[in-house]
Amino acid sequence: MKRREFLKNSALASSLFYVPSFVNAFNNLNLNLAGYKRLVIVQLSGGNDGLNTVVPYRNDIYYKNRPTISQKGNNILKLNDELGLHKNLAPIKNLYDKGYLSIINNVGYPNPNRSHFRSTDIWHTASNSDQYLNSGWLGRYLDSYGKTPHNAIEVDDSLSLVMKGNKLNGMAIQDAKQLFNNAQDPYFKKVLEHHNDQHLSEHNLGYLYKTMIAAENSAKYIYNKSKTYKSTQEYPNNPLGNQLKTAAEFINSGVDCKVLYTSLGGFDTHFNQIGRQERLLSVYAESIEAFVKDLEKNDTLKDTLILTFSEFGRRVKQNAANGTDHGTANNVFIIGKNLKKNGIYNEMPNLSDLDENGDLKYSVDFRRIYATILKNWMQVDDKTILNKTFKPLTFL
Amino acid sequence: MKPKHIRHLYSRGGFGINPKDFSKLQQKSKKQLVNQLFETSKNSTPVKIASFNDIKKYKDFRNLNADEKRELQKLNRKKIIELNVAWIDRIFNPNEILRERMTLFWANHFVCKAQNIFHIQQFNNILRKNALGNFGDFVKEVSKSASMIKYLNAKQNKKQSPNENFARELMELFTLGVGNYSEKDIKESAKAFTGWNHKLNGDFILRERHHDFGEKEFFNKKGNFNGEDIIDIILEQKQCAQFICEKIYRYFVNTTINTNHINEMVRVFYPNYNIEKLMRFIFMSKWFYNEENIGTKIKSPIDLLAGINNVAPYKFKSKKQLLYLQKRLGQQLLNPINVAGWEGGQSWIDTNTLMLRLKLPAILFNNAVISLAGISEFEDTYEQYLKNRKRRKSYLKIEVNETEFNSNYSNLNALQIQQHLLSGKLSEDAKVLLSNIAFDKPKDYCLQLMSLPEYQLC
Repeated sequence: MKRREFLKNSALASSLFYVPSFVNAFNNLNLNLAGYKRLVIVQLSGGNDGLNTVVPYRNDIYYKNRPTISQKGNNILKLNDELGLHKNLAPIKNLYDKGYLSIINNVGYPNPNRSHFRSTDIWHTASNSDQYLNSGWLGRYLDSYGKTPHNAIEVDDSLSLVMKGNKLNGMAIQDAKQLFNNAQDPYFKKVLEHHNDQHLSEHNLGYLYKTMIAAENSAKYIYNKSKTYKSTQEYPNNPLGNQLKTAAEFINSGVDCKVLYTSLGGFDTHFNQIGRQERLLSVYAESIEAFVKDLEKNDTLKDTLILTFSEFGRRVKQNAANGTDHGTANNVFIIGKNLKKNGIYNEMPNLSDLDENGDLKYSVDFRRIYATILKNWMQVDDKTILNKTFKPLTFL
Repeated sequence: MKPKHIRHLYSRGGFGINPKDFSKLQQKSKKQLVNQLFETSKNSTPVKIASFNDIKKYKDFRNLNADEKRELQKLNRKKIIELNVAWIDRIFNPNEILRERMTLFWANHFVCKAQNIFHIQQFNNILRKNALGNFGDFVKEVSKSASMIKYLNAKQNKKQSPNENFARELMELFTLGVGNYSEKDIKESAKAFTGWNHKLNGDFILRERHHDFGEKEFFNKKGNFNGEDIIDIILEQKQCAQFICEKIYRYFVNTTINTNHINEMVRVFYPNYNIEKLMRFIFMSKWFYNEENIGTKIKSPIDLLAGINNVAPYKFKSKKQLLYLQKRLGQQLLNPINVAGWEGGQSWIDTNTLMLRLKLPAILFNNAVISLAGISEFEDTYEQYLKNRKRRKSYLKIEVNETEFNSNYSNLNALQIQQHLLSGKLSEDAKVLLSNIAFDKPKDYCLQLMSLPEYQLC
């Protein structure tokens, strides 16, 4: 191949994909796609302030600790006599009214870590706070129950630890077409054409070839499958809206993926929190609203569960810069159509019993939520994936 | 020494070698080459990006106003990026080749992450200085560094309320390996490290009122041990030498351990812990050059970047782009994944990183479009986050040194280029494929070889 040709071809997709026998075998697996359950995760990255999201609007301690940044009673979207949602969460309030939302309070873990990195790792790997794991809980789900990388998709450019297993990794896809074009590189095809299956048994080289084949295969599958459905739902033009739109296209076109991972950044509100969090909560609520509508129109909401979490909550007492510092326990939102227990799942945070840093004490280990989802929603063995038994909750 | 073995020595003991440098080495014996590798790494030149001046305002941080605080932190972040790039530059253009290779290795052994640029730089230079020295001195200096004291909460370790984090990681990750000590050893040794702290300039200081001067029982010994005593007792355990030798073997030789080789290494390393002597033994051994050890290791992202730079030197005009690229590939210097470090080997590879890795030579050689955005820091505001996401597809701003490439490769034939770029044994398939690729211009040929999965191995 001449250079110019090579470069030209590298950028374009053309000609048929040569499929080595290994891939054929792989494609012939007949997966039963009908009616299986999907999990969508939304990570609010940076540490969302849970107390200003689900507000204890009758609590004096709350107002005393937050003289300038507390949410005032008349704006709050009241859920019951004690708790109300931030004023910009009206779409979430609608889901609550419909019975599609379960709010779990005080979610955390023992010996909380207040570093973004570390706490995110803990949530991603489902480890104890003094334990370092190199695989994520969804990656380990893939290890045991997945068949190909695209069974777990992160709607982004690169893969987070949560999606990395010990044997199998998920796949990051921001744009199915771009990925397809990248993977359909004629030079790669040429390499694979000259590639004999016996290579695959060689330790590291075999692993590289297998991964390369999986990449081409998945990229092609996802592109062809997802282009059969174009969403007519309008989404807000923001990063989360775009990710959820892509996720809806994968779901509604029937792409064989059981986990979809999305995230929204900007929640580290150490200063001038009010305006910044307001905006973020709108972005979150409006994106979720569009997503839920889109799925509902296509009757896929009933098989989809949406989990929203943040790596930690924020300190009860505000700081001098009209913001809040890193805290501990936080609320988690579960959105779905067939929740066994919707509304406010458990007691509100106890603001008069804080830890030595002035942070909330957790009452629900986040891994109990994972266990509930794995066991009652994905219908797999949670213990294999979490390496330990956690008592399930009853929202599913 | 055989050409193949010279390249192997330089790929594992350095960051590869270009044809010009290679031609100067060809007539030499193994002993001469290994000696030369150590000779050129005799000195240790510290990296200098930051000075104490850059951070001295932190002393009075509380009293700064919001703007001054932000300004200070901005400068700090900027300098961290500069340090990352300066370190990459060391790796791309090493004078003290082996020392730089060892520095990179130790950075993933004594894993540490800090926020203060001056302390980060100190730590990086501690790694460099001790890279080929005495392992015991190395452990002590690392343990007393400001970065490590902060990273593993030694600061919070006080007589009244001991914090065991450092004591645990010292044994689990730095010296003995998990399961080779008891919980009691951790508790007792944590007492010996109470009161360890540092000054703003990075100097170690023992805060006596927080230190537990009482008796401790550690590995069946009793005494009023201090932190150094604990490290000395750890070094007495042969398991420590065993643990380090295995780690070095997996990194420099093969991810699969050969017990006989390890035993030989431990005999050299224990009880004096001379790192230089150990490395010399490895490079002089016969087995280091065994077929199963050549071209079978998956390159780390940094190895891959350095390898491509060896073929055609390139410079990033935007420092941030170079950082993003490292992150996308899964290995950003100064930003380790967690305290256990990068696992390496196959864990570098997933479908996304592999596709990027296979295209990387073409991307770098042709200033191609690449999506490098979407990488946000936790601390970013939503505005910054939005900006990052919008920059999605951007051209890499790099300069490729074509002259240097030509002076190395324009006179080589296809086979010579192959031997230079692909270190592993070629399969029959690969040979057929290569014979089908027209040898037109050296650059195109190199590019195509570097786009093979085989190029991912070293």
